[in-house]
Amino acid sequence: MGILPDEIKPAMQGVIPSHIVTCSRDGIPNASVISQVYYVDPDHVALSHQFFNKTTSNVRENPHAVACITHPETLETWDLELEYDHSETTGPVFDTMDMQIEAIASMTGMKGIFKLRSADIYRVVSVIKNADERIQP
Amino acid sequence: MPTSESSPDGNDPGLREQIAENQRTIDRLNRDLARKSNDVRIIQQISSEITSTLDLDEVLAVVLRAMERVLGFQHSMVLLQDLAEAKLRVCASSGFDPSGVGAEVALGHGVLGVVAERKRMMRVGNVGASVAYFAGIRARMEAAGEIAPGGAVPALPGLAKAQSQLALPLLVKDRLVGVLAVESPKANAFDELDEILLTIVANQAATAIDNARTYQMVEKLGRLKRFFSPQLAELIVTGGADDPLKTHRRDVTVVFLDLRGFTAFAETAEPEEVMSVLREYHAEMGRLILEHEGTLERFTGDGMMIFFNDPTPVSDPAKRALRMALAMRERVTPLCERWRKRGHELDLGIGIAQGYATIGAIGFEGRWDYGAIGTVTNLAARLCGEAKPSQILVTRRVASDAEDLVETEPVGPLTLKGLAKPVPAFNVVRLKS
Repeated sequence: MGILPDEIKPAMQGVIPSHIVTCSRDGIPNASVISQVYYVDPDHVALSHQFFNKTTSNVRENPHAVACITHPETLETWDLELEYDHSETTGPVFDTMDMQIEAIASMTGMKGIFKLRSADIYRVVSVIKNADERIQP
Repeated sequence: MPTSESSPDGNDPGLREQIAENQRTIDRLNRDLARKSNDVRIIQQISSEITSTLDLDEVLAVVLRAMERVLGFQHSMVLLQDLAEAKLRVCASSGFDPSGVGAEVALGHGVLGVVAERKRMMRVGNVGASVAYFAGIRARMEAAGEIAPGGAVPALPGLAKAQSQLALPLLVKDRLVGVLAVESPKANAFDELDEILLTIVANQAATAIDNARTYQMVEKLGRLKRFFSPQLAELIVTGGADDPLKTHRRDVTVVFLDLRGFTAFAETAEPEEVMSVLREYHAEMGRLILEHEGTLERFTGDGMMIFFNDPTPVSDPAKRALRMALAMRERVTPLCERWRKRGHELDLGIGIAQGYATIGAIGFEGRWDYGAIGTVTNLAARLCGEAKPSQILVTRRVASDAEDLVETEPVGPLTLKGLAKPVPAFNVVRLKS
């Protein structure tokens, strides 16, 4: 049994954009909007790394992050406490994310510009549902 | 940290809650199991229906019917891979207006194209939102001059406002046959269970579609082999050559031949004797037609019509026709000798003409023939009719096209049925040494 409940999966389809908060080594926080947090397994999620930005550089020097995701039908929210683990450039997780990005890119004339550099894999440390129910590992 | 303290006695509220939770889990698992075994039954039923026919349209209809009525998908389509080109074509759909049948998708384009290219399933619950998001970034990058403004992106078949798409490659031993896809205007319409169900349907459908296509090809191959060489027939069914059964116009050399005295012979001789003579004659002529790369359009009793330059263009069609005709005359002479000894007066006559004809499938559903229509065929047939035993009569054009190959002698203008003016004709005497 992992930490992520089954009911969270619809919130990881990118229907409602998610937020990610990271922090540099010097302690400067950064919050940004991302299109999708991908479900990997009950203990891991993945974020797409397409362009270099604050989020990707922050987690590479300070692995702690928090993602806020929303269920598109019930509008329940979850705060995921994350720890950046590693990046993948091959394998099933990468392929799934890569082909999805390629499909959408080809539909917007952005093929080759929008490209998945890596699938950044995060371990889920804790989950808070609706900011009050704490689900323990 | 645990949410509540537990104690060894069974009256503790935490433990009771735990037992209730366990019961809920068991109930949920039972419900899932019931749904699963029901799904398995449905899938078995669909499978047996899908594999019960070799008719491609019927297979596609069964798949789509099952998608809608049994599995509850409102919008589904099957795309098949074009064998000759790197693209998919919508072959059947349900729940789309317009149906989209015939629409093409390039490999690598959109969800369907990428699924085909990667041979991997894809489930997206936010197509519309993602496209809007990407388009927004593109607009920003264009405005900032980071990328050149792009042209229009080709439209894709499917719902204009699809939010969810689940597309599966139809694979037979890792070879792509096509793509099966369902769509919904609702976000997140499909889940992992849908993936599992559709994977089973897709596997069955892929095999059934492949079998039906193979059967169709074998049937078409059989039909084409009646007219064309086996190599060409195969090239046509695999898409490597244009289908000659589609009506087209081409400059061809047409050869007609028949046996003088055959009608009288057939009237008096035993049928078995007639068949035996025909078999011998057909076998010899057939071999020479193949050897000279001619196309046998038809044979009727002792008559044969052959053309050159269609369906495959050949160099010097008139010369090929003449070489074949001369070889035929040479080969038939000893046959006639033998037939004569058995009391049958038979001899070969040949007519050759060149010109444009309209060529393609002639006939009606279930009984198509490959044929040519035009004055040129008429002319060749009439010349053949006028030819005396062992004569090869040709038109002026054929004679002049082959003047460095054969010696000819004029036989004077001939008045031919169906032609207003007398036609100058030439008899081919021999090959020039």
